[in-house]
Amino acid sequence: MASLPKRIIKETERLISDPVPGITAEPHDDNLRYFNVTVEGPTQSPYENGIFKLELYLPDDYPMEAPKVRFLTKIYHPNIDRLGRICLDVLKTNWSPALQIRTVLLSIQALLASPNPNDPLANDVAEDWIKNEEAAKAKAREWTQLYAKKVDDN
Amino acid sequence: MGNVPGKLDQDNIYFNQSGRGAGTQSNNASPEKNRITRNRRAVSLVNSVLATSRTSTNLSDEANPNKRRSTREREALKEEHAKGLVVKYNETVDGGYLAPYGVYSVEKLDYDVQIVKKLIVDRKLAPFYTPLQDFDKSWTKEEVIKIINGLPLHSTFSDCIEEFDGVPTGNLKRANFDDLIDRSLSKKEQRREHSKIFKARLYKKRVLWQEGENELFLEKKIESRSPNSKPNQYLPSDDLKYEVYRNGNECPICFLYFPEPLNYSKCCLQPICTECFVQIKRSEPHFPHEEIDPMQPAESESEKDPNLLTSEPATCPYCATPDFSIMYCPPKTRRTGLGGIPPIAFKSDQLYIPGESSNSDGSDETNLRSRSKSVEGSAIISADSIRPDWENKLKKERMRLMKRSNNATAIHISNRLVQPEHRSRNGSTPGSSSPTTTGANETTTINELEEQMVEEAIKLSLEDNGTSGKKKKKRSQTLS
Repeated sequence: MASLPKRIIKETERLISDPVPGITAEPHDDNLRYFNVTVEGPTQSPYENGIFKLELYLPDDYPMEAPKVRFLTKIYHPNIDRLGRICLDVLKTNWSPALQIRTVLLSIQALLASPNPNDPLANDVAEDWIKNEEAAKAKAREWTQLYAKKVDDN
Repeated sequence: MGNVPGKLDQDNIYFNQSGRGAGTQSNNASPEKNRITRNRRAVSLVNSVLATSRTSTNLSDEANPNKRRSTREREALKEEHAKGLVVKYNETVDGGYLAPYGVYSVEKLDYDVQIVKKLIVDRKLAPFYTPLQDFDKSWTKEEVIKIINGLPLHSTFSDCIEEFDGVPTGNLKRANFDDLIDRSLSKKEQRREHSKIFKARLYKKRVLWQEGENELFLEKKIESRSPNSKPNQYLPSDDLKYEVYRNGNECPICFLYFPEPLNYSKCCLQPICTECFVQIKRSEPHFPHEEIDPMQPAESESEKDPNLLTSEPATCPYCATPDFSIMYCPPKTRRTGLGGIPPIAFKSDQLYIPGESSNSDGSDETNLRSRSKSVEGSAIISADSIRPDWENKLKKERMRLMKRSNNATAIHISNRLVQPEHRSRNGSTPGSSSPTTTGANETTTINELEEQMVEEAIKLSLEDNGTSGKKKKKRSQTLS
C-alpha cells in the first residue's frame, strides 16, 4: 500500500487537536484510513441522549471519492437502513473534495436532526414516518434508549 | 455488411426528424422508401441476434463521430498519453513542470495532456509545482534552497500494485506480447488477458520512463555542482528556488504547500493547485436522481430510457457553483523556462516590482483585493475544457445501454425459439399466416419462427428510433 497522503495525516491531526463537540473520530492503529466514530444524538430530536457508533473508511481515491460511513449502532431513521448504510447527498452525488471527515460527520449529525422520508433508504421506516410521524418518532426514541444509551464512564 | 453505413445514415436522418417532431410528414410522403428502410433495419437486427459483435461495433460508430479505433490504435494513444505524464526537468514554466508530481494515482490522470501542457506554457494555468509537505515562514533563504535541492521530480511509485499481481509483462522493449497470452483460452478471455497485460506493461513502462528522467535530473544536478562545469540552462538558479517557494499557500484539497500564484476558483476565489484541478471532472453518466415515493415500487435501472442518461458539469468544490472554472494570473516577478528566460539565469532583483511580491505579510483583505483586481486580465479555464471528450463518452454509454437492452430482448426472442410451449402463442401472432395446427413439421416451424423474429425485429428497430413515449407503449405491446 502506498504511503498515507498528507491530507489524511493533517486531517487526523486537526481532528485530535481541534475536536468537534459531540463527535469523536479516532483512526485504527493498524489502518490509518479506518476510523472509529461516535456521534451524539442532537438535542430536541428523537435521538437525544443517545451515542451512536459509526465506522468511517477513507477509500484510496479520497478526497476525490467520498468517505464510506456506516452506523454500527442500531437506529430507527428513514435514511439509514438495517445495515447502517446512510442515504446522504454529500456521501454520494454531492460529495466535494473540499469537504472533510469533520464536515461529513456534522452532516450526519444534522441528518439525525432532520430526517427526510421522501428520499428514503429504509422504505418501511419512511412509510411509518409519513403515515404517523409522532408514532415513528416515539419508536426512534425507544430504539435510542434501547441501543444507543449513554454509558456513564465515571 | 456493406450496406450498414448507409443504413446508419438513414437511421440518423429518421432519428433526427422524429426527434424534432417534424418527421411524420416526410415519412408519409414516401411510404415505399420507408418500408425498405424498415426491412433493412430488420435484417440488421436479425443479424445482430445471430452474430452480434460486428453489428454492435458498428452501432457504436453512430455515437462516435470519429471512426472507431482499433485496439492497436487505442493502445498507442494510451501509451502516448502516459508519455505525456512524465515529469521532465528540462520542461519548466516559472519554476514548475508540465506534468503532475504524483499526488494522485496514475490511473486517475485522464485529462487531455496536450491541452493542459499548452495552457501551462501559455501561462493560463499554474504549472505543476513540486509540493512541499510543510512550510515554515521562519526558514532562511539557505534553508529553503537546501530543501528545494532535495526535492525529487516525481513522488515514488508503489512497486506492488495488487491489480498487476502475477500478470506477466515480458520484455518491455518488444512491441508484440501475443506470446504471453494463453492461446487455449476463448477469444473473449484472450482479449481480457491482452488488456490486463497491456495495462501492467504500461505501468512498468511509465515507472521506467519517470525513473530515467529522475536519474537524468540527479546527474545534471551533481554535474552542475562541480566547479569546472558549464552551468546547465535548465536547472533553476538559487534565486529562482527561493523566489518560487518563499510565497506559498496550502491547497485546501490536498493540504500540500504550493508556490503562489495558485489557480483560483472563478466563483469564490479559493485557491486550488493544478494537480487537484485536473482531478475535478463531470459526473460519470448516470440516471437523474429522483425523490422516490416509498409507497410506489421503484423503476428498475434496466427499464429506463438510455437517452435519459446525463452527466452534469463539475461543480465548484468550495461553493458548488455549476460549471467549475478557475482563473490564473501568472507571476509578475518570474518568467522562466518555456516562453521565458533560462531558469539558471534568474536573479531575484530582476523584474522586481516593488510592493508586488514583498507583501507576503500583507493581510488577507489586500490579497483578496489584488486577486479580484486581477480577474479581468486572467484566463478562465473550465473543468470541461481539459477533457473535451466528455460528450462522446456520454453518447457511448447511452449506446452501450441501448445495446444491452436490445440484447436482452434478443435473448428473450431466442428463448421463445427453443421453448416448444410457445408454439401455441405463435399461432396467434398476426404476422404468421401459415396454418400451423397439429402435425406441423420442423421446417414450417422454423419458417414461422423466422418470420416472427423479423416481425419482432421490426418492432424493436422502430422502437429504437422512436421517441421515448412511443417507446414505452411499443414495448408493452411487444412483450404482452
